[in-house]
Amino acid sequence: MSAAVTFQQYTVHAAPEAQEAGAVALAVASLPESFGPAASVNQADVQVISGQPGWTVRAAEAVATGARGVVVVNPAAENTDSLQAAAQQSGAAVVLDQRWASNPAVPGAEDAVRSMVGRAALLDTVATAQVGTDSGELFADHLAAVVRLAGPLANLRHLRRGPHGYTTTGVLANGAPVAIQGVVSNARPAALDFRLLTDDGGVSVTLPEPLAAWPATVKVTGPQGELLLPTIYESAHRATWRRLKEHLDAGSSSSDLHRFAALTESITALS
Amino acid sequence: MGVGILGAGPVTQAIHLPSLARLGDILTVRHIMDVDPAVAESVAARVGATHSTSIDALLGDPDVEIVAICSPHQFHAEQVIAACRAGKKAVLCEKPFAMNAEEAALISAVSAETGVPIIVGAMHTFDPGWLAASENWDDLPETAHTIRSSIVLPPNARFEDFATEIITRPAGGAPDYTDAEVIKGALRGGVMGLAIHDLPLIRRFTPDFKDVEVLEARHVRPFGYVISLRTPTRTIELRAAMNNTWKPEWSFEAFSDDAALRIDFTPSYVQAGSAVATFTRGSRTTVHGPFEHNGYEGEWRELAALAAGKQPPAAQTLIDDLTFALDIADATVANVESQHAVAEGAHA
Repeated sequence: MSAAVTFQQYTVHAAPEAQEAGAVALAVASLPESFGPAASVNQADVQVISGQPGWTVRAAEAVATGARGVVVVNPAAENTDSLQAAAQQSGAAVVLDQRWASNPAVPGAEDAVRSMVGRAALLDTVATAQVGTDSGELFADHLAAVVRLAGPLANLRHLRRGPHGYTTTGVLANGAPVAIQGVVSNARPAALDFRLLTDDGGVSVTLPEPLAAWPATVKVTGPQGELLLPTIYESAHRATWRRLKEHLDAGSSSSDLHRFAALTESITALS
Repeated sequence: MGVGILGAGPVTQAIHLPSLARLGDILTVRHIMDVDPAVAESVAARVGATHSTSIDALLGDPDVEIVAICSPHQFHAEQVIAACRAGKKAVLCEKPFAMNAEEAALISAVSAETGVPIIVGAMHTFDPGWLAASENWDDLPETAHTIRSSIVLPPNARFEDFATEIITRPAGGAPDYTDAEVIKGALRGGVMGLAIHDLPLIRRFTPDFKDVEVLEARHVRPFGYVISLRTPTRTIELRAAMNNTWKPEWSFEAFSDDAALRIDFTPSYVQAGSAVATFTRGSRTTVHGPFEHNGYEGEWRELAALAAGKQPPAAQTLIDDLTFALDIADATVANVESQHAVAEGAHA
């Protein structure tokens, strides 16, 4: 006879504009023991809000009204100081659901990149997105993933920006050039391509949209050959919810806001 | 048809002779010239050809009907002109075929006067993958807004050794990357020696190519570049890194709002078939290739056809391709100079 595994289930309420952008119903339905719908916003353990400008205020309000967890979908660059203080005081976990940076392959890719970045010769990365995408939002999503993978970038500067995309220049800590390009086109599914080259190999990462559980690809190339890291058939949305569950169970806080503050600083300096 | 080759270095040994070996039914190497008599003799012996150290000897050889010019860049113009004046049936000149627009115009005039067709060894323009793309790209060259060329290559020797047994290689150096002149030289060399393979392709997608400007140019160690270009209607990004990896990647991409073309080329030197051209239009993907020969073999097939009377390409195309490359090389160097001046100013 086996004992049933018991989970603590957290109730969820999503703001209408966050519901679709974060595919909340789908993500929650794929974690049915961990999360379930709340009868009302006031009774929700977890509140989901959109990352449109002003999101830090809305998230702080959610924390103030008793939310134990907050998911922010596609956060725009914004100062997070007061939200960080509010979350720390209440013990709430605030997690960010980012288009590419939240992909579950990112931690493994980050380890691979960080082990090589000190001897990098070039970082070349291209994000593609559908026509109509705001270049500024695309760049913020792009940079969030790049900084997460490679660490801080210096001398960031836009060479050009327009309706068809952007080209941004920077350097890695060792002085190697960084080229960040955005391309707006309906020709291909939106995706982020990241390639770090060293003298004898490198790391290439392709991150898909979180619309489906398409796996990212992470390839590490060295003198002995090329290693494809295990593929993870899970969207960035679902990976975000799993992280939230871990924080809620452990009573721990997320480092998302802290990391996002550095990103916001970079984007603000560029503008 | 008899072929004579001026210059018997690694490109002749590892690229042209293996390509010609696949075309024995239409082309035969008759004469090899190199300033090093031992190299000329050894390379000629591989194919049973005559050898010499003199251009005049090769051009005066009646068995030579097609001339390939594979000498150092600075000799290209005078040798192309001499080959035309010698009454040969067709001339292949390795890129770049001239070092400035005046030379290019002179060559064009001589070609027109003598009726000898000239093609430049921009092998990707003869690659069946590129040619298949050109038959299927609809209005993409007119509607594209973003173009990329990305090149990651192992050292040439890796692929030369897969292609043949090389005798004599140019000595490598240990550049001083702190010297701005070294960086400028490396970037000019990168444009005129590496990017130039794809610049004719890029130009095909850039109707306003005469208005190209360099937004930023940077050197990639040990040899490569990151160059961002712009015309009034196009964004053009050039990337290249030649390092010690084993893994080559060479791609050309063009994007419009609705369609994208990606061409993945095989590495130079090896007979690894053609590029593969992939069109994506939303959820629809069409693939052309691979075909069984590469652009180098394509060049030789084209030369044989030209020598047999096929209509040659417009001379203006060659001149425009060259001036486009020279404009980018000059603007790249100017950009680096201005960066250097700013850095110097900051340190002053």
